[in-house]
Amino acid sequence: MIVSTDWLKEYIDIDMPLDELADKLTVAGIECVLKETGKRIPEGVVVGRVLEKAAHPNADKLSVCKVDDGSGETLNIVCGAPNVEAGQRVPLARPGTRFTPDFELKKVKLRGVESEGMICAEDELGLGEDHTGIIVLPDDYEIGRPYNEYFSSGTVLDIDVTANRPDIMSHWGVARMVSAVTGAAFRKAPVDLHEHGPDIHDIAEVHIENTEACPRYSARVVRNVQIAPSPEWMQERLEAVGLRPVNNVVDAANYVLMETGHPLHTFDHDKLEGNTIRVRFAEKDEKFVTLDHKERVLSEDVLLICDAQDPVALAGIMGGTETEVDENTRNVLIESAYFAPGVIRRGSKQQQLSTDASKRFERGADPNEALEYARDRLAALIADLGGGEVAKGAIDVYPEPVEPKKVSLRLDHVKRITGIEISPEDCRATLSRLGFTILHEDERSLQVEVPTFRPDVEREIDLVEEVAMNHIERIPSMSRMTISVPEAYDRFHPYVTGIRNFFIGHGFHEAVNNSLTGEEAAEKGIWGYPPLKVMNPLSVEMNVLRTDMLQPLIGSLQSNAAKKRSSIRLFELANVIEKNDYSETRAEEHYNLGVLCSSPLWGLNWAEEDKAAGIFYLKGILHHFLDDLGFHYKLNENRNRDEFEILYDIVVRKSVVGKIGQYNEGHFEKLQLKYPVAVMELQAGKLYKWYSPEKKYTPPSPYPSIFRDMSLVMDKKVKAAAILNEINQHGGKYLVDCVLYDMYIDDKKLGDDKKALSFRLEFRSDTQTLQDKMVDNVMEKLFKQIKHQYGAQLR
Amino acid sequence: MTKETILEVRKQFEEALNRAKDPASLEKVKHEFLGRKGKVAGLFSMMGDIPPESRKEMGKMLNKLKDDLSEAVALRSEAFASGKERAKRIDYSLPGYAVHRGSQHPLTRAVDDMLSIFERLGFDIAYGPEVETDWYNFESLNFPPNHPARDMQDTFYTEGGGVLRTHTSPVQTRYMSSHEPPVRIVAPGRVYRNEAISARSYCLFHQIEGLYVDENITFADLKGTIELFCRLYYGKDVKIRFRGSYFPFTEPSAEIDVSCFLCGGKGCPVCKQTGWLEIMGCGMVDPNVLKAVGYDHEKYSGYAFGLGVERMVMMRLGIHDIRILFENDVEFLRQF
Repeated sequence: MIVSTDWLKEYIDIDMPLDELADKLTVAGIECVLKETGKRIPEGVVVGRVLEKAAHPNADKLSVCKVDDGSGETLNIVCGAPNVEAGQRVPLARPGTRFTPDFELKKVKLRGVESEGMICAEDELGLGEDHTGIIVLPDDYEIGRPYNEYFSSGTVLDIDVTANRPDIMSHWGVARMVSAVTGAAFRKAPVDLHEHGPDIHDIAEVHIENTEACPRYSARVVRNVQIAPSPEWMQERLEAVGLRPVNNVVDAANYVLMETGHPLHTFDHDKLEGNTIRVRFAEKDEKFVTLDHKERVLSEDVLLICDAQDPVALAGIMGGTETEVDENTRNVLIESAYFAPGVIRRGSKQQQLSTDASKRFERGADPNEALEYARDRLAALIADLGGGEVAKGAIDVYPEPVEPKKVSLRLDHVKRITGIEISPEDCRATLSRLGFTILHEDERSLQVEVPTFRPDVEREIDLVEEVAMNHIERIPSMSRMTISVPEAYDRFHPYVTGIRNFFIGHGFHEAVNNSLTGEEAAEKGIWGYPPLKVMNPLSVEMNVLRTDMLQPLIGSLQSNAAKKRSSIRLFELANVIEKNDYSETRAEEHYNLGVLCSSPLWGLNWAEEDKAAGIFYLKGILHHFLDDLGFHYKLNENRNRDEFEILYDIVVRKSVVGKIGQYNEGHFEKLQLKYPVAVMELQAGKLYKWYSPEKKYTPPSPYPSIFRDMSLVMDKKVKAAAILNEINQHGGKYLVDCVLYDMYIDDKKLGDDKKALSFRLEFRSDTQTLQDKMVDNVMEKLFKQIKHQYGAQLR
Repeated sequence: MTKETILEVRKQFEEALNRAKDPASLEKVKHEFLGRKGKVAGLFSMMGDIPPESRKEMGKMLNKLKDDLSEAVALRSEAFASGKERAKRIDYSLPGYAVHRGSQHPLTRAVDDMLSIFERLGFDIAYGPEVETDWYNFESLNFPPNHPARDMQDTFYTEGGGVLRTHTSPVQTRYMSSHEPPVRIVAPGRVYRNEAISARSYCLFHQIEGLYVDENITFADLKGTIELFCRLYYGKDVKIRFRGSYFPFTEPSAEIDVSCFLCGGKGCPVCKQTGWLEIMGCGMVDPNVLKAVGYDHEKYSGYAFGLGVERMVMMRLGIHDIRILFENDVEFLRQF
């Protein structure tokens, strides 16, 4: 919403600099920015005060003035204006002021006397044509203050109107807010209405079919109007607030709209069939051509204004071409009506048409005072500008008048919410300036009548807000704090932080991906969840919620690969969504961890060869990770996915909690990756339910360990995991660790179906120093067991 | 002399080398094998007896033997040498191994920083779902159906009647529905807006919601808490401004501005010459919200606030295009 400050002054006196006013309004809840629309006074021009005026020694028409510019120094200025006098406040351009890009004011000697600046006339500042004398400013202008700050013509307040304040969408509304913050009195422009000729009831009639949708419809007729351009002052004001002038009738209607906030419509009275207005809902698929020349197909939600035969306007939204006021119009019917906000909102949504009128009606217009004032004001303006005459009386169909609400305000409640005492006087002053009526008042409470232009105010708390917003700067910051202790503090966040730090510590970058993805990607999700659709997506690439962490990470892999990043190590923690039939929202959220690794084991360096990290690296990470959290796990091979060279289900407590695998080498061929792509996904949220941060300590054994190596030759098809499992199962109570430290394949030496695996076993007791013999016995038994099970031989 | 003789000498050397446990015995091994009258020299002296056709091959083998043995002795001698002596021979200016370096995403980092401040102020952390019901996302928060306030937030609707939460505020009513007052929580999370993706807006972002409901909680408590937060997060010299605003679920409502930390409040492009940066919305919990969760609004009062994490991160890091936060370019991520 744009409000012209010049226009605003018609309803309220503003005697503070406009930027200060804008700040005050902003703090009081009317967020606004002061903007210059056109003319602008050059920077460097300040308010100066003429201290002395003396005759110029060498020129009759010049005088030499001493001028205070507020800085403490007195400037010597040669001035040619006849009207300059000591004591005046004047616009003073100091040296350095740039009037145009190539004209900078400098100290000059004029007829032998140095002039340190210029006292300005209207034309010099681009304010007008007048060069007969300098501008004399009001006495309350602050010396030294940039003149720009007082310059109101061509300045506007650009206001961000909140959804609850339809009243602010007008100069009246803003003027009332100015009144609340400055204390100046709000006034309306007087309406000078002269009625002539026939009674309106003889030349027009109005019928409302649905008075819930249209509680009030009022009309006036202005006859014998001469359509012409509107006067310049009106055009300027409309342009300042961003409206295009059309003709005197249309402009006057817009003018009153911007003045009062009440939307009006003007019909060419002669084009209204049967001189009749009928308000009804549209029939299904009824067609209507609006002022923007679009043929609209209507639904039964849309309220129409019709004449005796056809629709003539979408009520409260936009008029039609058929009855539009044009250059041949002579008689004008003014509509000033009130429509139910929900009806206009539905119609506007259905037609996807939002106008100055609909924006106000759907938030709530004023059915009473503004409606009547706007109707009469517009009639008077049209008669004045178009030379017509206003027919006698007004049609007013208003079967059930909207009564103003009465709300009481307890002063202790104000304190209960704001934390400060606001005196009854202050409460009363603020509320009256905002247009509220105080019906009754005692020491403890006020009985307040809420004006009907404030549909947002219904409850006591709404009044508290009105008062509080205008005293918001008075509310202190409570420095003493109370603590409320919950039954138990959240432990999920520390858990997640632990996971995050683990992966950062292992050299992974944390990613944040879009949760919205395309159906195709979501269907490839590693869990096979059905994707949840978004009904109004931004695009087909974002029409469902992600079903796993891996697909978005693959997306990140692709974008990184496209930039030739060769080492890509990412992880992300977020929700994935599973569509189901039983949740209220049809969605189950799983908080998951995704990890992707396509990188070398080490960064390229002089000592180690360039080896890929790959699946074995990630398996190591997984082991370390789950071990840290205290989980035992199993990996079960999963053969359901063709894109994977190897894929395992990660099983904890007999339940699949994750996946780990490596993609086929060819799967990302196009990306020309340097390293294979290993991934894993874990249900971090599910694991949390089983996780306990509590750990018990085991005393470290004071006795030394005994190490034994065992190299075994076996068939290649025997799985290493099986041998490790065998060793761990049969290694006896002293076996504390077993590491597979070498794998050797040599088709010539071992045979092409054999491999050799070397294990290092660590034995230790908590109660004694182990004897070699005890360990040798275990080793022997172990070897026999493995030989029996897998046909392995010692190497 | 045959190949076997050479292999035999090599084997003897290896065994002898293994037995050498100190510099003196190593010196002996060196003398025994590589000395002027050592075993290798002895082998060389036998070259004359080799038939010319295999002399070249044998020569090669012998030379290799000599080289290997010399290198093995040198290596072992290295191992026995004191640190200082070795330092003279090893180039320690070689760079360290390239260890992979990880990083936290700036968004989650900012969330963590802010949460830790609120935790110090006695707030607990709470969570809520991203796919929400209309009741929690709107109605419980005093957004009536068909109310223009719903236009403040462009909403994604999901099949089956859910919405992608447009703010973290539904966590307020979810939490209050299952807890008796006092409640004092912060709730971080992802929220969604159906807005075209551009440099300035993305379809999702992160918010942190705050809520404190108890007896005798006033706007002054809200001011005190937020001021403390801002001083801890932005530094003690930051200036804070509360200005009136509108949110359906708080009344009175306010926006909070902090003095622009880039220009110190003088005005710059980031603060659009105003000297202020808008950082969060807040207010006193609307009685209708307390009613919706069954709290007695005459007994309890409270405040709530919500801040957008992306905005803060972008201002702090000088990011002008929000999309870079969701691209996961490793060259971007590694900077944090």
